[in-house]
Amino acid sequence: MSRFVGRIPVLVVTAAILAVACSGATQSPAASPGQPAAESPDGSASPGASPGASAVAGEPCQSGATAVKFWTEHTPPASDTLQKIVDNFNAANPDVCVTMEIVPGSETDIAKLLTAIRGGAAPDVYLVDRFTVPQRANEGVLAELPDAAAMAGDYLEFAWAETQFQGKTYALPFDTDARALYYNKDLISAAGQDPAALDIANGAPTIDEVLAIADAVTTEDANGNYDVLGWLPGGPGPGGQPGAIDQGWHYTWGFAHGGSFADTAACQVTPTDPGVVAGFQFLYDFAQQRDPEKLTRWASTNVPPSPSGSQQAFVTEKLAMVITGDWRIAEMAQYKPDVEYGITYIPVPNEGDEPATWAGGWSVAMIPDSQAPEQAWRFMQYIAGTEGQTTYTQDTAHMPTLNALLEDPSLYDEQHAQFLDFLDVAHSRPPLAVGAIYWDALTQAQGSVELNTAEPMAALQEAQDSVQPQLDTVGC
Amino acid sequence: MTQPSAALPAARRFGPRRLGAIERRNLRLGLSFISPWLFGFVALGVFPILYTFYLSLTRYSGLRDPIFIGPENYQRMADDPQFWKAVYNTLYYTLLAVPIGVVVAMIIALAMNQKLREIGFYRAAFYLPSILPVFAISFIFIVMLNPGYGLVNHVLSAVGLRGPNWLGDPAYTKLALVMIAQLGAGQYALIFLAGLKGIPAELYESASLDGAGAFRKFFSITLPLMTPIILFDIIIGLSLALQIFTPAFILTGGGERAAGPDNSLLMFVYFLYRQAFQFGQMGYAAALSVVLFIVSLLLAWAVFKWAGGWVYYESERS
Repeated sequence: MSRFVGRIPVLVVTAAILAVACSGATQSPAASPGQPAAESPDGSASPGASPGASAVAGEPCQSGATAVKFWTEHTPPASDTLQKIVDNFNAANPDVCVTMEIVPGSETDIAKLLTAIRGGAAPDVYLVDRFTVPQRANEGVLAELPDAAAMAGDYLEFAWAETQFQGKTYALPFDTDARALYYNKDLISAAGQDPAALDIANGAPTIDEVLAIADAVTTEDANGNYDVLGWLPGGPGPGGQPGAIDQGWHYTWGFAHGGSFADTAACQVTPTDPGVVAGFQFLYDFAQQRDPEKLTRWASTNVPPSPSGSQQAFVTEKLAMVITGDWRIAEMAQYKPDVEYGITYIPVPNEGDEPATWAGGWSVAMIPDSQAPEQAWRFMQYIAGTEGQTTYTQDTAHMPTLNALLEDPSLYDEQHAQFLDFLDVAHSRPPLAVGAIYWDALTQAQGSVELNTAEPMAALQEAQDSVQPQLDTVGC
Repeated sequence: MTQPSAALPAARRFGPRRLGAIERRNLRLGLSFISPWLFGFVALGVFPILYTFYLSLTRYSGLRDPIFIGPENYQRMADDPQFWKAVYNTLYYTLLAVPIGVVVAMIIALAMNQKLREIGFYRAAFYLPSILPVFAISFIFIVMLNPGYGLVNHVLSAVGLRGPNWLGDPAYTKLALVMIAQLGAGQYALIFLAGLKGIPAELYESASLDGAGAFRKFFSITLPLMTPIILFDIIIGLSLALQIFTPAFILTGGGERAAGPDNSLLMFVYFLYRQAFQFGQMGYAAALSVVLFIVSLLLAWAVFKWAGGWVYYESERS
């Protein structure tokens, strides 16, 4: 007996450690293996924190073809379409062999690319988030494209502007997108509300109208935690971290409240612009009225840190309304084809206000000292040209940046075509050489405001204080 | 072997002397044998450190030519609220993780030191978490600490406690990091175990004869004789804690979503990484690494000075 008693402490410690060591088998319902990879803050699939890179097996090239390395952070389903474009290019250009590789990174994190350039193992072409092009050009990550200047008129004006730095072109625009309010008609009807009130034919709904419907839909579990949320306009983001659920970003609500994020003529970031502050105040008040701790707990429980398309709360029907982008159309068709949902404008602060949204997107850029600049340039023109953008638009429900394709009705079904209207009221992020730094500073400010640990003006002033000196250093 | 001659003048005796032919040959051979290490040390150790000092005085994106700007990067730190946040977070974490790590390693070592037939199994089990990669453990902890379906909060709720939102509440995020760090305690426990095995059994026998209980024996024999190893553990732990990066990076979504709620997981090296690789500010990042280097040295020196009062070296007993 005494020998057994003597073993008890050892057994207890052993059991505890084994439980931890073996708990890799513990999986949340929303984080099971085999799911598509994470979705980035900008909507497209991104590998998030995945540690390695993976080459994608495409069609075999002809021997003697000049090799061109193409890197992207996109993951399935978007990368499947990119591979299709690569294969089409290789088939049409037998003297060139483009190989695509999926690498870790995010919009604002290009550590893999930086180290590869320094190590002499860089790709020739990189798919870069367009709003960071000026910053990456300033850092020397991207090569100037002197032959691109003549193509300016082919592309959407804002998309072209994002590829410029100090009067030179550093990338070709690829896709674009727009954000809107998606609403789950089934959940809203089940709560006794009329989803027809949100029909796009009625124009943009007001924030108060949407909140009234959302509060009727919201339910709690036996422990008092939120189960289904009617709406979460901003964050907390996936895993309860700072940021947004889907696309309820700082830019979304700043633009919705008429805000301006920069004065590019004066080379100033303006996060304390009254419209931006008003947008943050809305997020602050929303959280305060619904308990920031409960909202964070809901986000931590229902959205894993780097959610794939199938793990988004709107897709799992834990969120009845969400701000998201055009790409969600394809993903809803893939993951939740039976759900009845509608799409309308982002809610406006007051009835009659002009609706607003914002457009982002990616671009293709050449890396300095490419071993095959001529072939890389041909591939860039192809993927950012009519062939590449047509394929990407049809397969992923993103939108093209080529003006000619925006006017081609055969590319859009009824839902997708709505986003062409949204583009008319779309803003874009200011093309600054501190774009990524500014994004992260705004994200941190949004996180603090939504936790109610900082007042909107104080949080945004801190963002300005941290970003403006860096913009002063690099200029516009 | 040649010996200094007593007939030589004193200055010559104690000053530099010419090596003999055999000594020169031995020196050449010795240097050539260690030349791979020497090359590695100079090329991969000394040069990068000196180059980092130089880069810290420049504006440098990592790709373009560095532009010399003097101490501007150091001046910038003073006005950078994120710098001070990172300093605060890292010191907060270090002051928690290091002492707790010593206690946990000691407890595991004491458990490993039990005289049981199946102790080999227990030792392997205690050590097992230490061989798991930190990033894998971090992913596991994201699940374990989930407020809705995580194991930790399930255990807490079983005893009537409402578990916190470990990774979503800034008050708890650093505690989560401290918990993760304890899974590496197994390797320090092994060192503690070696120390425990080196304590003469007759000391315990004598204490037992004098009527000492288990606690008295632990605090009067085990702990004093283990102090050199505890000091080693503190120094190593301090160094690792100041450089913590991977768990903070993984728990915050790999840099996509800022550095935790209210920047509560913005650790110093994570801050440095963001400056270098997300923001292309290698010069500022180099200055940060110089500051970390100097602070680490100072803290290690302070711990050594402090340790003079409580570390017991039996070999120095006179």
